[in-house]
Amino acid sequence: MPEESDRLEQAIRVLKEPAQIDSGLDRRVMAEIESVPLPGAWPHRFWMTLDWLKRGRPVRVSPLGGLAFTVGIAILVLFGREWMTPQEPGAPLATTAQGSVVQFVIVAPAASGVSLVGDFNDWSSAATPMRRVGGNGVWEVTVPLDAGRYRYAFLVDGSTWLRDPSAPPTLDDEFGRPGSVVTIGEL
Amino acid sequence: MRTPTGQLALTFALATSLSAVAGPALGQDPRLEGRVPEPTRVEIEAVLDSALALELPTEPLVDRALEGASKGAAPDLILTAVRRLAAELLAARDAMGPKSSVPEIVAGASALRAGAEPEDLAYLRALRGNQTLTVATAVLADLVAVGVPVDTAVSAVIALAEATEDVEYLAFRRNVERDIALGASPVTALGVRLDAAAEFADRPLPQRPQRPRKP
Repeated sequence: MPEESDRLEQAIRVLKEPAQIDSGLDRRVMAEIESVPLPGAWPHRFWMTLDWLKRGRPVRVSPLGGLAFTVGIAILVLFGREWMTPQEPGAPLATTAQGSVVQFVIVAPAASGVSLVGDFNDWSSAATPMRRVGGNGVWEVTVPLDAGRYRYAFLVDGSTWLRDPSAPPTLDDEFGRPGSVVTIGEL
Repeated sequence: MRTPTGQLALTFALATSLSAVAGPALGQDPRLEGRVPEPTRVEIEAVLDSALALELPTEPLVDRALEGASKGAAPDLILTAVRRLAAELLAARDAMGPKSSVPEIVAGASALRAGAEPEDLAYLRALRGNQTLTVATAVLADLVAVGVPVDTAVSAVIALAEATEDVEYLAFRRNVERDIALGASPVTALGVRLDAAAEFADRPLPQRPQRPRKP
């Protein structure tokens, strides 16, 4: 027992002595901590996402859902290009029993308002205001038209007349203002 | 550009004068009120009366008057434009036949304005059979508007008349316009596209009949 007591006292003495610590330890520990990426920081999140994407997982799709998805893709492939291309006047977007739906487009980045004015709306500047599409100064409107040949123009900010650059011009500007024509064939 | 049928214009002017003397206007259109100044509006209504008497469509005439008013044109300019269009509508209807539809008459009038002759419209009618002339005559006018000489444009439209659908006429015009925009001369652009159409048809295309040139 006395021997054990001596050994214990000796150990306590050793432990009580101040430890000799390398003066650069704090700096090295802090550098190590800083090198570990914090959860939520972008490189860490990127690798986590990549791992998630790489892992295979089962997907459950009903036969009806699969069919609808396939039909959707097929429609997009067949008609997507047409939908994304601005149509020339005279090339109707759609044809109905009542006539054709024609899209008119003009680029007027500085305009605050554009109207479509023509034979089809009694040349009224208020009848067919155009809609700004996106932020590129593109203005657009669709109008149902029966078969025929129509003269029209764009009225910018109520004062500037523009012809449609994507349509044939009128043969003469009888009234000193530019204009265009659109022809819709008879069904 | 040649002027369309002076005789018909004279006939129309005479009919207008007679209808003005005859009595109250039947061709009144409420859309003209407040947009076309008073003395001119009455004269335009006399033109509309004459058009009704001749069974011509009046809507294109009202449209032309409203266009002039909307564009701030002088009243006498508006009246002149309406009278001129009325004469062209009459000439077009006479050339294409009494059963012509309103769109055909309007498009035919634009072809006459472009410089085509009434005989060209009559020949187109014969070639096209039961197909409408709206697009064919409109394309003729459109080609002239982008710089194709009128005789060349007439010849091209006649050459395509027998075997060309409306959508093909429109595509033909679009292709010519595109070639012009890319730098081709209007005659060259039209010639190239016409050659392509002839090659596709694999047979000779109809020719415009030779007629003595007007002075």
